[in-house]
Amino acid sequence: MSLDMVQTKTLLSVRNLTVTLTGEGRDVLKDVSFDLAPRQILSVIGESGSGKTVLARALASWLSEPLAVTGGEILIEGRDLLKDPAYARTLAGREIAYVGGNPAGALDPTMTVGAQLVEKLRAVRPEISAADAREKAIRLLEAVKIPAAERRFHEYPFQYSGGMMQRAMIVDALMSDPALLIADNITQPLDVTVAAQILKLMRELNEDFSTAVLFICSSLPVACDAADEVMVLHDGRVVERQAPDALIDTPQHGYTHKLIEELPTLWAEGRDQAQPQDRDRRAIMSVRGVAKHYETRSASGKALVQAVRNVEFDVFPGDNFGIVGESGCGKSSLMRLLTGLERPDAGSIFFEDENVGEASPKRLRALRRKFQLVLQDPYGSLPPQSAIGAILEEPLKIHAIGNRAERRDRARAAMSEVGLPTDLYDSLPTGLSAGQRQRLNVARAMVLEPRLLIMDETLSALDQTEQGKLLNLFERLQAQHGFTYIFISHDLTMVRQVCSRIAVMYLGETVEVAPNERLFFDPGHPYSRALLSAAPTLEERRYRPEDCLMEGEPPSPIDLPPGCAFAGRCPQAFDRCLTENPRLRSRGGQALAACHLNDPGES
Amino acid sequence: MFLARFLARRLAQGALIVFLVSALIFTLLRVVPGDPVRLMAGGMAPEALIEEIASDMGLRDPIYIQFGRYIGGILQGDLGQSFVRPANGAAVGGASFDDSTRSERAEVWTLIAETAPMTLQLAVLAMAFALLIALPIGIWGGLRPGGWPDRFALYISSVFVSLPNFWLGIVLALLLSVKLKLVPAIGYEGFAYTILPAFVLAIEIAPFIIRTLTVSVAGVMSQSFIDIAAVRGLTRNQIIFRHALKNSSVPLLNLLGVQFSMLLGGVLVIEFIFDYPGLGLLTINAVMQRDFPLIQGIAIVTAAAFVLINIIVDLAATTIDPRLEY
Repeated sequence: MSLDMVQTKTLLSVRNLTVTLTGEGRDVLKDVSFDLAPRQILSVIGESGSGKTVLARALASWLSEPLAVTGGEILIEGRDLLKDPAYARTLAGREIAYVGGNPAGALDPTMTVGAQLVEKLRAVRPEISAADAREKAIRLLEAVKIPAAERRFHEYPFQYSGGMMQRAMIVDALMSDPALLIADNITQPLDVTVAAQILKLMRELNEDFSTAVLFICSSLPVACDAADEVMVLHDGRVVERQAPDALIDTPQHGYTHKLIEELPTLWAEGRDQAQPQDRDRRAIMSVRGVAKHYETRSASGKALVQAVRNVEFDVFPGDNFGIVGESGCGKSSLMRLLTGLERPDAGSIFFEDENVGEASPKRLRALRRKFQLVLQDPYGSLPPQSAIGAILEEPLKIHAIGNRAERRDRARAAMSEVGLPTDLYDSLPTGLSAGQRQRLNVARAMVLEPRLLIMDETLSALDQTEQGKLLNLFERLQAQHGFTYIFISHDLTMVRQVCSRIAVMYLGETVEVAPNERLFFDPGHPYSRALLSAAPTLEERRYRPEDCLMEGEPPSPIDLPPGCAFAGRCPQAFDRCLTENPRLRSRGGQALAACHLNDPGES
Repeated sequence: MFLARFLARRLAQGALIVFLVSALIFTLLRVVPGDPVRLMAGGMAPEALIEEIASDMGLRDPIYIQFGRYIGGILQGDLGQSFVRPANGAAVGGASFDDSTRSERAEVWTLIAETAPMTLQLAVLAMAFALLIALPIGIWGGLRPGGWPDRFALYISSVFVSLPNFWLGIVLALLLSVKLKLVPAIGYEGFAYTILPAFVLAIEIAPFIIRTLTVSVAGVMSQSFIDIAAVRGLTRNQIIFRHALKNSSVPLLNLLGVQFSMLLGGVLVIEFIFDYPGLGLLTINAVMQRDFPLIQGIAIVTAAAFVLINIIVDLAATTIDPRLEY
């Protein structure tokens, strides 16, 4: 039975909730109080460590050692969940539903999604028959716009993409018609276009199913987009709660103020990133028609995954070249090709007039002195058993540069250049923060004095503040050493801030290559526009998501459509797009795009 | 569709494995010193007679010809005849080189067909005992990692693993059969004779199962879908019995496959101690008598059993966890 929400003013009220980390005696949540009305969407925002996930878990009765509630009340319908754990248990999964940020691991991999949805509903509402539960699951899967819901019902979690799995988890939460949905960072692991679809979906569901939503996230623009009201959590305390517009216009608390101020913008004027390009300069790296496919086994035998196709661009000395695209678009495969870790099946990659794709292993090692790679994962990319100094000297040893003392000096110099205290020389990287680890990674890459640095999602593991500091560091190093950077990223705001020229990738192809300003103000490909429309920002949008993106997910790289890969999601697609794949074509002013709409004959 | 392709591929691989095993065994047996004809005919037999018998049996042909002949026989379901054992089952004698019953030497296939069911019975019962002991201990330990059930599982495994099986077999036979007269021990005159050897084998296998279970159950219990299941509203029993155990059963299944193959391959020591008429005992006697065709036959049959068990295990694992199909 659903709680009677018409007669109650508040569904959930939290009073002076305090949660303590028992080992250290530190309070993670301090005196948190708020009310949530039925059908309301309330965003909770705060940086990592502000206690927002702890709040979500406390409400879902899911706190575990060493966290414990040490004070306050969580009232649902006037009954305190903390004093009455049995009542809390009957609500769990039934009236209070929870969706987390890791949809990939949220369901049993050995059972079909459908069977688990039915199992869940029957666990909390045994009176519903299996047939009815099944029918409801399929209806809800359709409601969250999962294509071919009937068939998908019988598929296993590993057959779902990340975005679809998140939809399935929302279905899982809504199966029991809950009064409260706790959405903890649900868009964080998703690509911007998929996240935008999920947000839109959540709002519709909120109207259709009259569920109140507590929407927890760390991005202010997303929070404002999603909610009726935004609550700001800082250091375990509620510092402010306002409607989104009011919050942006008149933030009351200093922390909110700072948060809004530091937010990078996409379309702010007066930016002068694009450096004057001298067309006579020779490209430092030149990529021509590169393709790479991988073989996999699938249900019907062998299949080819076309990870990279038709990739073309030039990177000029001193450039900050950005490569953006969503997960699965082939960015990382491309990185492996650019660095010579793998060889392309077709096309060529020239680094200073030498073909990386065909260089001998010995020659490649010599070439690597001049181009270095910095990876995404600050933890997995450093050997945990080596001292920091040894990590920095290793590349020098490999390339037989200098003697012992010289190597030591160079390592120390690199450390101080990236802002690592040199007395850490002999310590292990274990104690370093994520930001420090990335500095160390940068130092390791630049100790060889390369000409080109390839940054594969180097900043995506860091929070906003730390990102800003590292970007400043990159800028300084570039000024001092004349580095050229290639930034591989999914983060449009970051790319907008740093890059002079940007390539947009979709399903393994470069669909657009354009200077920064041009891409953001006059994108030449509908997919670029869709990406821009979905980027989280507080600014007035230049492109509205509903005009730019149709429902659906990218096609699988195993069976690519014959025409343009984006045609299935493109609102402007026409006959020719379905049969003929457009090639990159100049739009003037160094901008290239692969779209039939740019053909003079078509528009 | 998947099933047909899977079976075709695996059976073809299996046939190749069995072929290689038989080639290896065949060659090795003919390279080692010791002339089986001398053993068959007896130490007193004249050299000429030995040569005659050997040529009659084709033992003086080049190895590859002998092997070709042998494989040809196998393809027709003929594993050859024992060098030593007569068909009537009488004891083997070395001295009777002019024994008229030689022409009726036992078929290897019959010898194996008579003893294999005995070993199968022993193996199945041993496996059942082992699971009975290991499942509760292992699962309980896995549900409380670091707690005392976990430590208990570790200690009891250490004790089991350090008991030598021949010692345990003798001690149990002394205690349960001689002193207490609960179960019979030596020979075979009925099902009751399987219990004691099976129990000794179970003690030997149980620690591996316990260890595998505690590790895999503990691993599955720490995964996020188990963690979040309670928040989704599932009960603890549903979580443990429908999700945790199912997911942790794949490593267990692989282990059971290996263990069961080993049991089928003949448990030499235990069958010898208990004088249990299974494949193990047959193997020991065949080796001691240099009964080449019998040793080869046992090796081939066991290899084939290994292959089949592995196919079954993989098929079962794929049914439990469909991700393994890919």
